Amino acid sequence: MGRRQRILKTGMVVFLCFFAIFYVFPYVWMMAMSFKPDGEIYSVNIFPREPTWEQYKRLAFGYQFGPQYNLQYKYGAYYRNTIIVTVLSLVLVLFFDALAAYTFAKFKFRGKTVLFWTMIGTMMLPIYATIIPAFWLFSKLHLVNTYQAIILPAVVDAYGIFLLKQYMETIPDELLDAAKVDGAGAFRRFWQIVLPLSRPALGTLAIFRFIFVWNDYLWPLVMLRQESMYTLTIGIAQMQMRQGMVVWGVQMAASVLATVPVIILVMVMQRQFISGLMAGVFKA
Amino acid sequence: MTVADTSQQRREATWSRLWEKLTPYVFISPFFLGFLAFMLIPIAFSIFLSLARWDGMRAIEFAGLQNFIDLFQDKRFWNAFRVTMLITVTCTIVGPAGSLFLAVLLDKAGERIAGWLRAIFFLPSVTSAVVITYIWKQLYSADYGYFNAFLQQLGLPVQQWLNDPKLVVPAIMVMLIWAGLGWDALIFSAGLKTIPEELYDQAKIDGAGDWAEFWHVTFPLLRPCLLFVLVTSVIFLLGIFAQIQLMTDGGPMHVSENLSLYLYQSGFQYHKFGYASAIAVVLTIMMVVGSWLNFRFVRLEV
Repeated sequence: MGRRQRILKTGMVVFLCFFAIFYVFPYVWMMAMSFKPDGEIYSVNIFPREPTWEQYKRLAFGYQFGPQYNLQYKYGAYYRNTIIVTVLSLVLVLFFDALAAYTFAKFKFRGKTVLFWTMIGTMMLPIYATIIPAFWLFSKLHLVNTYQAIILPAVVDAYGIFLLKQYMETIPDELLDAAKVDGAGAFRRFWQIVLPLSRPALGTLAIFRFIFVWNDYLWPLVMLRQESMYTLTIGIAQMQMRQGMVVWGVQMAASVLATVPVIILVMVMQRQFISGLMAGVFKA
Repeated sequence: MTVADTSQQRREATWSRLWEKLTPYVFISPFFLGFLAFMLIPIAFSIFLSLARWDGMRAIEFAGLQNFIDLFQDKRFWNAFRVTMLITVTCTIVGPAGSLFLAVLLDKAGERIAGWLRAIFFLPSVTSAVVITYIWKQLYSADYGYFNAFLQQLGLPVQQWLNDPKLVVPAIMVMLIWAGLGWDALIFSAGLKTIPEELYDQAKIDGAGDWAEFWHVTFPLLRPCLLFVLVTSVIFLLGIFAQIQLMTDGGPMHVSENLSLYLYQSGFQYHKFGYASAIAVVLTIMMVVGSWLNFRFVRLEV
């Protein structure tokens, strides 16, 4: 390529790398903060002069400030709750969305068009349109402050059905008809043919839902009342709100532990995720 | 073959035909029940609540349009409306424009580096808004935040980023734009990849420079992507909550309070669920109108 082109390209790469520093810095800083002793929290240097595990230890064993008072964080509970809620939501969403998507993709039935377009219409509605009534419903059922209050609404994911339906429509009908002739019932055709063939789309949906549920704030904020039921997002937010104590270090340690799994997951599933995102955009 | 056999077979055939007809309904019912219970009925109930007064404990009293009348006379509502519009419009213009620019640069930068860079820019999208907000809250800290430290190095006066009424909303917007760039850039990158090389080659043969190439080849073909990015940005920005609540809780003195925060406080702190539902109705209408406007705007660029 021409010299001018090469200079331009190098310039662009340099600019991009420089810009990327603004993205890497906050994460590096968050990790560095989590290893700083209390005395260095407010200091100017990015990296701790005396790195320590103290902040992480406080997550596990409590924050001792003063001989009498030990502030216990139920971080283990937060983690456990988040994992339970995320995994269960994932499993339910994948199964029910796939089943519904398969039905939309491969069956004709009365009310199909109406239902489908109603579902698409609700995709545009904000969470605020449903959160107050949902809260009322769960309080009436005495299910506030439970896992169900967070998991069940997650099952209704119009976008997931849309994504899966688009993908399933590409599965050749002949394949399914052949199975039908061989005597496979509708559910078997779903379980043994459609599901395995839809793995890419299912993988993409799984990653999206994982990230969404793991990081969700508003819904758990409204539904959860007791510290032992908090998810990571609520737990970390609440750390700030306690009596204005110096908790930045602990909060950063908590944030690191809460963020790293998601980052690892996305790094590992990168290709899957990106191709799914791209596919989803174009069908939309 | 006896008569009993054939009627047995006929019964089995009827059952299996019945099952065939019922299958789609059975398969769709779990989703549909959930959809009814957590989407349709709540939406209807929200609308009903917006026309009523309820504190969550006593009976629901029907109040007609009173909530909306009160809302439109409420200074705090209009303030929140203004903040919401400011954040949404500004970030929807700057964000996608910046992402598009970024995506174009990435496209020209060579695949290997671009892959790593895209992942880096994407980090905020997989990070909880809670974590992002607290990191930025510290960066903006008046006493020991890095932004002020940087200003001090340059000999410039230190700023009260989160306490100065003039600076707090822009400060939040910078964080929002930073956080959203990677996601949108990824979508644009996907769009850019679908543009066939031949079109660029043809443009070069026709003597088009870089800018003309962008404007006449790239931009028109990115229109579906642009629409998607704009619509999702508007919907997302109209409803941001954690970022505002945790950064400033609407402060100082409601200067940075947006409609979602006002909605949340009206409902879950002041227990005025009818009023909060009215705000929810307004927000929903804003989202629908916002989406519609984007559809018109992007189409018009023929």
